[in-house]
Amino acid sequence: MTLGFFLVLVAIGFLVGGFGALAGIGGGVVLTPLVAIYYGLPMHQAIGVSLVCVIATSTATSALYVEQHVTDIRLGMLLELATTLGALIAALMARHIDRRTLALMFACFLTYSAFSMVGKAWGSRKREEEAPVTDYQVKNYPLGMAASLVAGAFSGLLGIGGGPIKVPVMYLFMKVPLRVATATSNFMIGVTAATSAIVYWGHGDVNLNIAAPLVAGTFAGSLLAARIKHQVHTFYILILLIAVTGLFAVQMFYKLATGGFR
Amino acid sequence: MKRESAGTDRALARTLKIGAYSAFGCIVVGLALHFAGFGDRVTTIGMIVLLATPVLRIIVAGVQFLREHDIAYVLVSLGVLGIIALAYVLGLHA
Repeated sequence: MTLGFFLVLVAIGFLVGGFGALAGIGGGVVLTPLVAIYYGLPMHQAIGVSLVCVIATSTATSALYVEQHVTDIRLGMLLELATTLGALIAALMARHIDRRTLALMFACFLTYSAFSMVGKAWGSRKREEEAPVTDYQVKNYPLGMAASLVAGAFSGLLGIGGGPIKVPVMYLFMKVPLRVATATSNFMIGVTAATSAIVYWGHGDVNLNIAAPLVAGTFAGSLLAARIKHQVHTFYILILLIAVTGLFAVQMFYKLATGGFR
Repeated sequence: MKRESAGTDRALARTLKIGAYSAFGCIVVGLALHFAGFGDRVTTIGMIVLLATPVLRIIVAGVQFLREHDIAYVLVSLGVLGIIALAYVLGLHA
């Protein structure tokens, strides 16, 4: 590993971890395609690297959310039964799925994420004071468990956190306030990603030379972002992230169409 | 759903913080040692701390639930730990 190569990775980790934490996304959705497209890592390794970065963001930012009492720990841990199971099954299955199929699934998920962030950006146009969390009654546990199983499977298969699946289900169907849903989803991601990361690690798919500088950058970025979160307007960050994920989606589809990702 | 006791929140936040900062520290020191030509041992330790922090967090939560005599959630914690243990066995030794 040369010093220049190392510094670029630290910088990428810092930006993705920082912007990701500010916008409330894990960053896996950006990191997996980035290392797969620009560093030419095989999909399984790109996913392994992304998973460890996602754990770093989740750990760094959920400490703060838990401190602010906006995380529903019991709900999170109950749903973790489903996310970890999904993640374990998917991580074990992933080695039997070929690279191009994984890349195609990822490209589809990227497109979905870009659109879901458009909705999020629309909602954050106006800067609002965060209202205190009111009492709520959690509903629809079976649906929440099912969605968590799916989110966990996506996490183990694609190296992402799965927030775009869990947060809407918790908010719309389980009637959890949005702030609590976001914090709780973020809280669950560390455990979920750790489950599949252990499997990827065991298969030799966590490339230390790429993962370590990225994780160092991600930690620094998300720890800093968690501190300044309230002074930043997330609208422009979301626009940036939509542009980046949209660009990566196009690049992945193009590379697939021209026979790449073998 | 019962809101979490301040004690549980404090214990978990502390666990996550200690885990985050020690993994970060190990990886930074490990990368410096890598460039000084000392190999990757400390970096690997940092990665293991990173992977172990979420596991530790489940144990801390489980102990808090036990203190509150909430047996159902002690079982939930043990269940999640069990799945991670399975990942360890199937992933690293299969």
